[in-house]
Amino acid sequence: MATIDLDRHLAAIQQGDADAFARWLAGAEQPLRRSLRAFATEVDGEAVLQETLLRVWQVAPRCTPDDKPNGLLRLGLRIARNLAIDHLRRHRACHVELTEGDAPAVEPTLPDDELRAAIARCRDQLPDRPSAALAARIDNRAADPDRTLAERLGMKLNTFLQNITRARRLLADCLRRNGIELDPEAS
Amino acid sequence: MTPAERDPLIAQATSAWRPRDADGGARFHPAFCDLDGPGRRELHEQLIVQRRLEAALDPDGLTTTAHAVLHRIRGQ
Repeated sequence: MATIDLDRHLAAIQQGDADAFARWLAGAEQPLRRSLRAFATEVDGEAVLQETLLRVWQVAPRCTPDDKPNGLLRLGLRIARNLAIDHLRRHRACHVELTEGDAPAVEPTLPDDELRAAIARCRDQLPDRPSAALAARIDNRAADPDRTLAERLGMKLNTFLQNITRARRLLADCLRRNGIELDPEAS
Repeated sequence: MTPAERDPLIAQATSAWRPRDADGGARFHPAFCDLDGPGRRELHEQLIVQRRLEAALDPDGLTTTAHAVLHRIRGQ
């Protein structure tokens, strides 16, 4: 399978094109998130990832392409690792053992058409309340905490969280019945 | 930590919402701080799966994480 080179968006990103950065993000997020696995018990990977992505956007104009693909992603992987280590040094004395198996793969990932079609069908089959909770999270785009989203839906926080968990499980079960396994180890 | 204690914390921390510091930077989710080691490892795995689902549901292939970051970049 040919490697996706996300650097095709680099020139536009360097010109401040946020839409181009969005296209880069669509392929870069998963490998960046996976690269933080070694730190999972010590740092909140979601917070570190969001800060990483902002820094990538800020330093992208100074990124000089080399003869390998995905130079900006490789830069992002270094930023993510350094931010995670910085958090460890500032907040914790513990030591994270980085093994060979923790070396991040520089392989962008994009949702495939089969997954898109199956998940659309499965989402339509969700019961009302899990569907509403899931939609609230997705449509809100991380602007508000769950407590606020729950109040808008007239749910208690715990009920909202149970519906989020139920929606995820039902989607995974439905996808599995369609022959799609959402293994965290797989792309 | 029992599953009954752990599961709601994991569910909360799978949100892309994060508290902000004075400079607008993303801070750790309070639920992450309350999780034990196994719970944090489980959170990492669930985040990978959940963001894949979100990306597949989004017309542009973007997750809630990506939307949160783009929101900050665009200054909205």
